[in-house]
Amino acid sequence: MKIVLIPGCLALLPEHASLRDPVADLRVAVLEAASWLGDDVEIIATEQGRRVARSVLADRQRSTASASAGRDVLVVANGSACRTEKAPGFLDGRAEAFDTALGAALREPSPAALLEVDDALATELWADVAALPELAELLGGARTAAVDYDDTPYGVQYWVIRWQA
Amino acid sequence: MTLRLRRHAFSDDQTLMMAIVNRTPDSFFDRGATWAEDAAFDRVRLVAEQGAEIVDIGGIKAAPGVEIGAEEEKSRVVDFVARVRAEYPDLVISVDTWRAEVGAAVCEAGADVLNDAWGGADPELVDVAAQYGAAIVCTHTGGVTPRTRPYRIEYDDVMRAVLDDTLGYAQRAMDAGVARESIVIDPAHDFGKNTFHSLEITRRLGEMVETGWPVLVSLSNKDFVGETLDRPVGERLLGTLAATSICAFAGARIYRVHQVEETRQTVDMAWTIASRRRPAYAIRGIQ
Repeated sequence: MKIVLIPGCLALLPEHASLRDPVADLRVAVLEAASWLGDDVEIIATEQGRRVARSVLADRQRSTASASAGRDVLVVANGSACRTEKAPGFLDGRAEAFDTALGAALREPSPAALLEVDDALATELWADVAALPELAELLGGARTAAVDYDDTPYGVQYWVIRWQA
Repeated sequence: MTLRLRRHAFSDDQTLMMAIVNRTPDSFFDRGATWAEDAAFDRVRLVAEQGAEIVDIGGIKAAPGVEIGAEEEKSRVVDFVARVRAEYPDLVISVDTWRAEVGAAVCEAGADVLNDAWGGADPELVDVAAQYGAAIVCTHTGGVTPRTRPYRIEYDDVMRAVLDDTLGYAQRAMDAGVARESIVIDPAHDFGKNTFHSLEITRRLGEMVETGWPVLVSLSNKDFVGETLDRPVGERLLGTLAATSICAFAGARIYRVHQVEETRQTVDMAWTIASRRRPAYAIRGIQ
């Protein structure tokens, strides 16, 4: 089973397109990772994240190299939105450490660490972590196939990560 | 409809800035500032840098004054058109003239558009446009003689008159052989109209857009703006831009202007509000 994590960035939606793409690099990474998944894809996301996932799946390039035997999974989650003063949630001194720990748990991957994420702190830091418990269940025994994106444009922590379970 | 201005083509979602370049000693706004050829050429260079897609070169002011014959008009604009054509091959060159004789000479020199501000006063102008594959701007003047001011002109329905005359002119152009995609209609604010007429055609500009013909508006610093706001020439930019935004929201495609950059921003803003253009770079709240 292939698993991909993308952020629920609404700028990825076609109705929010600009003349100059403000998330061009992220979009490339998201579409490449989503194209790695097979035809049968389960989405794990909030209602809003599900809209982003559906849009990404509709936009991705499909190729024979991305064929999968069974069902794959697309997970929508992201880190804090408090990394700078211009960030949506303003600068919070706890955000960087939160994102660093969460990023390490995702890269390894460490299902146990993902299950220990502090939901209350995540809420205060405007992080989208609702999908992490289900992701942790899927990542047992999985290996990280690629980290396509790890950055904080606009003060929001985004990851695009692929795992093979 | 794709707009074709002789050798230049523009898609439906493009708006165009037509910058006024006067080769006159007495036009109302610049008062002869670009009368000298080099000064006029500096003006072309400036507006091209500012992003104007079209320059509209005129050799006779619109208002009454000393009569300028065809020979004098040609001496003011023909060689200048050739010079602009040579240095700016990608710039659309329009010439503001009602005379077929002048139209032929400037098309020979490389002009792309014949901007007939006087509503077809010379019936042979459409033949010249057809002969050279040039575009033509069909304006409404209420039938007045070129270079005369409106005086007690009344209409039962000014927009009906504008539509009848401009669409009739467009049909005459097509009948003469001008390509459909090279015909533009213009209500001609202030021409054959009092301020109330110009305000009404601004308010009802959508009726022109609905015809499907590309619409040009020439609003820049005109008397209807000045009278509406009680502002002299030189203090009409804000009123011009307000009127511009109304016309842009309605869907006008070409804007004949003195101030290119200010008008471009105004049109882009209104055009985007109308969902005909994307924001340049929007990320607020959707990170």
